[in-house]
Formats: sequence, C-alpha cells, structure tokens
Amino acid sequence: MNKKNSWLAPLSLALAGTLTLGACASPAPTDSTESITIYSGRSEELISDLLTTFTEETGIEVEVRYGDSAELAAQILEEGKNIRADVYFGQDAGALGALAKEGVTKTLPPDITDLVATEYKSMNGQWVGVSGRGRVFVYDPAKVSRLPTSYKDLMDPSWKGRIGIAPTNASFQAFTTAIRVLEGEQAAIDFLNAMRENGVLFEKNSIIMQAVQDGVVYAGLVNHYYWWELAAEIGEENMKPEIAWFKDGDTGNLINVAGVAVLSDNPSANVFAKWLLGDTAQKYFVERTREYSLTGIPEVAGLKPLKDIKAPAIDLSNLDSLAETLELIRKAGLL
Amino acid sequence: MAVAAALLSLIPFVYLLLRVFGAGFEGFIELALATRTLELIVSSLLLAISVSLSAMLIGTFQAWIAVRSNLPGRKVFGVLAALPLAIPSYVAAYSWVAVIPGFSGFFAAWLLLTVGTAPLVYISVSAALARFDSAPEEVASSLGAGKFAVLRKVTWPNIKGATLSGGLLSALYVLSDFGAVSIVRYDTFTRAIYNAYRASFDRNLAATLALILVAVTVLVLVVESRSKGRKPIGTVIANRLNRIDLRIWKLPLVALLTGIASVSLVVPLASLTRWSIVGLPDTDWQEISEALFSSIYLSVSGGMITALLAVAIALVVVRFKTRLGFVLERSVWLTHATPGIVVALSLVFFSNQVAPWIYQTLILVLIAYVALFLPNALSAISIPLSQSPTSLDEVSASLGLTKLQTLRRVVLPIAGPGIFAATTLVILTVLKELPATLLLRPTGVETLATRLWTETGVAAFSTAAPYALLLVVLAGIPAWLLNRAIRKDLEPINGLERV
Repeated sequence: MNKKNSWLAPLSLALAGTLTLGACASPAPTDSTESITIYSGRSEELISDLLTTFTEETGIEVEVRYGDSAELAAQILEEGKNIRADVYFGQDAGALGALAKEGVTKTLPPDITDLVATEYKSMNGQWVGVSGRGRVFVYDPAKVSRLPTSYKDLMDPSWKGRIGIAPTNASFQAFTTAIRVLEGEQAAIDFLNAMRENGVLFEKNSIIMQAVQDGVVYAGLVNHYYWWELAAEIGEENMKPEIAWFKDGDTGNLINVAGVAVLSDNPSANVFAKWLLGDTAQKYFVERTREYSLTGIPEVAGLKPLKDIKAPAIDLSNLDSLAETLELIRKAGLL
Repeated sequence: MAVAAALLSLIPFVYLLLRVFGAGFEGFIELALATRTLELIVSSLLLAISVSLSAMLIGTFQAWIAVRSNLPGRKVFGVLAALPLAIPSYVAAYSWVAVIPGFSGFFAAWLLLTVGTAPLVYISVSAALARFDSAPEEVASSLGAGKFAVLRKVTWPNIKGATLSGGLLSALYVLSDFGAVSIVRYDTFTRAIYNAYRASFDRNLAATLALILVAVTVLVLVVESRSKGRKPIGTVIANRLNRIDLRIWKLPLVALLTGIASVSLVVPLASLTRWSIVGLPDTDWQEISEALFSSIYLSVSGGMITALLAVAIALVVVRFKTRLGFVLERSVWLTHATPGIVVALSLVFFSNQVAPWIYQTLILVLIAYVALFLPNALSAISIPLSQSPTSLDEVSASLGLTKLQTLRRVVLPIAGPGIFAATTLVILTVLKELPATLLLRPTGVETLATRLWTETGVAAFSTAAPYALLLVVLAGIPAWLLNRAIRKDLEPINGLERV
C-alpha cells in the first residue's frame, strides 16, 4: 500500500552512501613528498607497468588520472590555482606546448633537460620529450615496386584509392602542421587536396595497418610503432607490410615526441621526470611501446636507428598551433 | 530545492559567459559572424531537424502500432522500439563502421541518430496514447468520419504534444552528440567544440562556439513551444481503447518494423557480439566487475537524485503555477544541448573556485548528471503530474489532510509511474554518459563507459567490444523497464477489452 516508501528507502540509502563514499574518495592534494599525482594522456595499458616499476625503484607512490591529452590539458587550465597534478604526461608536443604557453608549467632543472637533444624539448625548459615516434610509410611490397622518395610523390594520380590516411588523428594533423610551418600554407593545401583524391580515409593508424595487411590499400602513412603493434597481434612472420622512410630531410620523416611537464613544487615530480629519462624507462619505451629512446638506448631490432633518420628541422613547440591546420584539413573535405 | 537544482543546471551557462566575455566581446562577435560559424549552424540544424522529423515519424508510428493496432507481435515490436536507447551512439557508430568501413557523412549520421533517438518519441507517444480514451474516436467514426480523418482530427491533436516533446529531446540530443558525428565524420557544432579543445587547446574559442550553440538551442526551444500551441487536455486514464484492424497491411508493416529493428539493433548487436567473441580470451574479469559496480552505483544514485530534484521542480511548475516556476522549468533546458565536455569543464572551474573539497569526488560527478539530465527527467514527470486534477487536492483538503499529506497520499501515487519512468530514463542515460564522467570522476574510478573509451583508445575493437556489449546489456534493463512501465498503463485497458 505504501508505494512511496518502496522507492524512498533505497533513495535515501543511495544518498547517504554517496555522501560517505564521496567524503572518503576526497583527493588529498599530494603534499607528501613521497607521492605524486600524474595526469596522463598516455594510455593505462601502455604505461601502468612502467609506473609500478617507478614506485618499486623509488618508493614514491603514484596516483594517475588517465584521459585524452588535450582534454586533460584543458582540465589542468580550468583547475586554476588548485592544480592537482604534479606531472602532466602528454601524447604529443602540441599539448605540452599549450600548457607551457599558459604559464602553468615549472621550469625543469638542467640536470633533466640536458639529457635530451635540443630538438626534442622546450626551448626554455618548460617540458621535455621522453620518447620519440617516427612518421613512416608502410606498404605492401607485393603491390608497391617503386618506393616514393618524398611524401609529395603520393600526390601523383597513380596513387588514387591506394594510400591510407587518418586525418582525424593527431599524428596526421601534426604532420600536416609540419608541412604548413616548413613549406608554407599552399604546400599543405596542395597535399590535402591530392589526399582527397588519392587517400582512403581511416579513423586510426592501427586500422590503416590492418588495411595494408588485408590488401584494402597498397600503403599508408602511420607512426612507426603501429607496425609492431600489429606484429604483436598476428606474429612478425605473418606481416605483409614493410616500413620505409622518405629521402633525407623530407617533411614526411617528422619525429614527434611524448613528454612530460612538471606542474608543482613537489620535488618527487622532478624525480619522476628524471627517472623517465633513465635507463629503466628508456628501455621500457624501446622494448614495450617500440618507441625511440631519446637518450641513446639502441632501437628494437629491425627499426632504423634514430640517429640515421634525417628528420625535417622543425621546432616541436610550433606544433601547438593546430587550429589553422584543422581549418585546411576541413576545407579539403578530409575532416 | 527546486531553485537550487535549476541553479546547478545554469552553472555551465554562467561559465560560458565568463569565458567568452573574459576574452573580450569583439572576438565573440567576429566569430559569431564568421562564415564557418554559419556553416556549422546550418549543418547542425539540418541534421537536428531531419533527425527529429524522421524520429517523430518512426517513433509515433511504432507507438501507434504497439498501442492501437492488432498487429501480431506488437508487444515484441514495442520492446524492440525502446531497446535502441540502451546503445550509446558512439557504440552504434563504431559497430556500423566495423561492418561498412566507408560509412560516413550526412546520411550515416542521420541514420544512426534517427534510430538512436526514435525511442524517445516512441516512449513519450506510447504513454500519451495509453492515457487517451478512444471514445471520441468512436464518436467521430459514427458521425461518418473516415479512418484517416479520425487519425488526423481526433487522434493526432491528442498525441501532438507528446510527439513534439519527443522530437525536441531528439533534436537536442543531436545538437549535443559527439560520438556518432565524429565517427562518421559529419561536421556539427559539438564536433567543432571538441576539436577546439583537442586541436588548438583553445578554451575561449570552444566556449564561444558553445555559447552560440546555446543560442541555437534557445531558438529550437522557442520554435517548439510555439508549434505546440494549445493542447487538448487528455483524460487521466483511458476507459476504453479499441484496436484498429490492419487487415492486409499486416505483412508489409511487420516487414517494415523488422527492417527498422535490424538497422537499430541487429547490426550493432551482431557486430559487438562478433568482436566480443574475438576479444573474450583477453578479457580482464576483475576490471570488468569493478567497472560494472561503478556503473551501476553511479547511474542508480544519479538517476534517483535527478528524479527527486525533477519532482521538486515539476511540483513548483505544475502544481503551483507561478512565474518563478515557468522560469525554472525553461532554464534547465538552456544547457541541455551543451556538449558534456563543456559542462564538465565548467564544473572543474566552479568547484575549484567555490568548493575545492568536492572536486574529483562523486558529489561533483552527481552534480554533473543533475545538470545534464534534469530535462530528461522533467519531461517524463511533468505530464503525469499535471494530469492529477487539482480537484483531488481540494477533496483531500476538505477531508482534513495537510498539504504535505495530500502530496504524499494523492499527488505522488498518481505521478508514481512518471517518477519511475524519469528515474529509469536518467539511469539509462548516465550509464552511457562519457565525457563528464571521464573528466570529473575520482581518480581511479572506472565505469564501463570509461573502460570502453580506454580500450578503443589503444587497441583493436575486439578488446573494447566486451565492455560495449556489457554496457548495452546493462542499459537494456532500464530500457526494458521503461517499456514495461508503459505497458502497465495499458493493462487495465486490455482487461476491459476482454470483458
């Protein structure tokens, strides 16, 4: 008969429960020097083991929030004076540059920044790259006999319907930004218009790899480590696609980095940044995520060494202005 | 309480004003008048209008078949009409793209969002049809009106309000959707707002676009309330309900309804099941069960709190018809089409300014759900609450009951089904919610939706599919309950039919 009470009871229980749980879960700002909070744009699957090792080696506890690189950057900015993160671990140089520009990053001491070559860090010590990723050309050798020497060769009509790209992906956008910054807006427009004619659009790099493997397209533009990701899934011996680089200095050989910025005065944050550039972490990047070490740990077998790649000369901090690039990509009808 | 709830839902709006005008007014004007903005307005409205029209057509048709026809299997088709609510738009989009790799553009977005939002219309119209007595229809036919004339002149005016409010929910959903439009690459305001964060890290640009989107929403709301006009007052509970004999149309209609169900349910479910089987060996059961628990916990508490506040607002609006009530009711709609990321960032900003101790706690997550989904709850509660005649209040007062007692013993029991529907609707929506949960959750809390996001972020679709499938199955429960609640309304009528 008492219909109301039947739903009122669980409701009050839920309310009470919420408040209690909410109170317990209240995050203590990490004032203890023995623990840090990281906002990570890199995925849990790829780096949680690395963070466990960090805690084992240093005794510093780690609390991580995983999210999208750009959304976490926006969140940090909205936190204003109450920034909860001690460290921001970003997927690409653009997001790191954006935080530095807003003045929320702390200057890193030279004993950290000196570990990395100039092209892979912020000019004024606001962030530092910790691992590198190369832009590469993957192709099926059974179908592609003459390798392109520049990304521009892919603009030729003979590539119509044969080259896979992922224009909504940050890595493609950073690459297009590089063309814009280094070769001018017109070069970027020409490239994008040609890609509208020749390109087959995919949502992600991993799907392009699969498409080359399945013979859906002849070739694709991806980050190098996606080759190893697919190889881990199907076995290296079954891989049809091969990796190629363009000629020396070609914009198609862009090297981007994942990196960290320190956001608080917690000394453990700097310990973490430095640890990422130590041998344990650098080996992890090479062996587990198949990225490039930025401190000279040798590459995984079969990958062209970083020192042999003639990447285009670009200041990675310039990659923070993607807005114009997006406008071009959209105008070309690729977004 | 009602005022507090409405104020909560206005936080995003105030935040947008601060962001936009903090950056200077000229910038706003310049951007508002840019060709690009105009293009976005046109493409967003085009999608919102065409989706809501087709959703109204399909949803009303399904509701009419389920409630008023003698089609064999109409109960099954009724359940099938409500179930697509359980599939998040991004999951549906992913599964379609997994089947047809080149699935993109306006048509793709229109198709996905039409089948995704038609259930909103179906639910609202079914409820209206179940409450509407068919005596006037019989009178009309006995006076010589043809079947279509009856439909047009008697039935339609009585369900028009329900159809339009379902259509409004559909249109506002389209305006705020990010998942589906980004996967099929159709450009709308919400996608541009996300891109403003993702690509240029520009909060002010994003806020300006969002504020223009709010203006567009206001436009949609005004048009909707104009076109509603004066609606006829329906009866409380239908006494009689005849079913229309479909005769030779039965077979083609069954085929048509099966076609709709295949598009909305069979393709996504088949695709998810296939990928789940591929991904099953790698599934981490501990992770899944933790995510399942958080999803249930968050959605149930979010649903109950939101429904409770919606009852408070609805009481103020409907039972005590004041000007304040009207303002409250309209204001909660203001930010309904605002993308989740904007709502989430506004709460990050406000909590850190005002109450840093609630930041990254469940309290703030629940506040976000209230701000986002109060309108959904309100739309389910207002009509049943307004259908409890005020004369009953007077009777109860004359019998010596206090106002509070009347509320408890007269008004709430009548509105009970509406409150139940509102709660389940919000539970369902919270289960699928991603952007606000992702940004505001306490560090370390994972729901099925956030896990799904993590998995699709790195690996193949196969690792993510089990989460997606579980999410759809879980959300199927409230979707099914919602449909059953409507059918319950029909039971006394069906009983009469047999007599």
